[in-house]
Amino acid sequence: MTAPPQNPDPPVDDVALRFREGDEAALREAYDRYGRAVLHLATSMLANRADAEDVTQATFVAAWLGRDTFDPSKGSLIGWLLGIGRRKVIDRMRASARETRVVETVRQLPEPAQTGPDPDRVVDRLVIADELARLPDDQRRMLELAFYDDLTHQQIAAVTGVPLGTVKSHIRRGMASLKRRWEVDGAAPGPRPAGLSGAR
Amino acid sequence: MQHLDHDRLVYLALGESEAANGESTHLDTCEHCRAELTALQQVAGLGAETQGLADLPDPPEHIWQGIAAEISAAQALPSLTGAPRQQTVDQPLSGTSAERQVSGPTPERPINEPTERSVSEPTAERSVSGTTAGPEVPGAGSHWSEGRSSGRSRARRRGWSRWAATAVTAAAAAAVGVVGTVSVLRPDDPPPDPTPAVVAQAPLAAYGSTPPTATGDARVLDGGQLHLHVANLPSVPGYYEVWLINPTTMQMFSVGTLGGGSDALLPLPPNVDLSAYSVVDVSAEQYDNKPAHSGDSLLRGTLTG
Repeated sequence: MTAPPQNPDPPVDDVALRFREGDEAALREAYDRYGRAVLHLATSMLANRADAEDVTQATFVAAWLGRDTFDPSKGSLIGWLLGIGRRKVIDRMRASARETRVVETVRQLPEPAQTGPDPDRVVDRLVIADELARLPDDQRRMLELAFYDDLTHQQIAAVTGVPLGTVKSHIRRGMASLKRRWEVDGAAPGPRPAGLSGAR
Repeated sequence: MQHLDHDRLVYLALGESEAANGESTHLDTCEHCRAELTALQQVAGLGAETQGLADLPDPPEHIWQGIAAEISAAQALPSLTGAPRQQTVDQPLSGTSAERQVSGPTPERPINEPTERSVSEPTAERSVSGTTAGPEVPGAGSHWSEGRSSGRSRARRRGWSRWAATAVTAAAAAAVGVVGTVSVLRPDDPPPDPTPAVVAQAPLAAYGSTPPTATGDARVLDGGQLHLHVANLPSVPGYYEVWLINPTTMQMFSVGTLGGGSDALLPLPPNVDLSAYSVVDVSAEQYDNKPAHSGDSLLRGTLTG
């Protein structure tokens, strides 16, 4: 989420590799970069803020202790972390439902319906946001205008003063990057051209 | 007609233009192009939802403190969470040493100063009190060992050294492989041979409205298996499921299900803390696709070493 956009062509990121190798500094870097995304995922899904913080903590602890299982060739670090976080969120939701259910058994209340957004959707969103932040400035800017402001390519060209052909090519390339990233790191299971990340 | 040009698909996905007649016809018949368009539309939809996600607030510092403390503890301690309680020292100890717990008192917070260089504020108090004892489900859904997440359980957690975690994960994997073939023993089968040491056990008694003739025994075997022996369980429309419950918090997790026989051997997660999850519970479950405990407990007992 925090990849500095002023760096148009980010160098190959070695945090993931150092993380896997057990470099504790890389753990902190990963946390500084992706902790807010994991916390966002948890707070989006869990009503209880303390639970969300607990899940965030547990996610990073589990990731660190299980770093041997992280395969950077199969997906990004944030995608892997969000996969862990998503699973922990779901565990937590199930456990809460279970506790509630046991407590309420006497009254035979039905299991509380799962509310809130779909965790897969939140993960996908965060993955796309991360990739968007990594895009070269121009591509990112054009896509933000298209996504957030719902501008046509023509309008984007007018607003930015960038030639229409360039706008189109930025958007086309940006979309290709987002889609590729989503296919690798996105949460939803099921057939996708690029297969699934190994993190889940 | 050839596949649609990729640029066209992007523009269509963004609503930049409408599909022309020929394009619509092609999309109706071409799975490939349709899937591509759908994917691009999904991405565009997600993209529109990313507004604000670039400016998420930083997590509070105590989360990092908790991570650092938990990891320090996990890596500094030579013993295992999966180990049973101390009373087992009189058991014959054989086999690999990786799964032994270290005897003697375990300091609650052995690492006062997390090793991470960036831990700046001493907010350990917050990091303990601020983490509610969460219903962590040991081993569920994750195939690596992990520390426990709650402050309360952290206080009594016995951590993992890295080598031990690796060794035990491997051992547990091996155990699962074996158990997979013998998980439900024939009623009259002898226990597995050679008989592993029993490191904790619990007599199981009828719970709630279950007829008192229902009974059983649970034994935690050295090597991380739970041996269940049950008798006179009431017949149920569904199946029997075995749980470990933390009686303090009522958190629980499923260990597995019982087959038709009177004995079952179930693998325990390698990192389970039996001093916390000390209650063995056999429940009646319906085939209702709900993973949670039904609330219908048939047998219960408390593990003692």
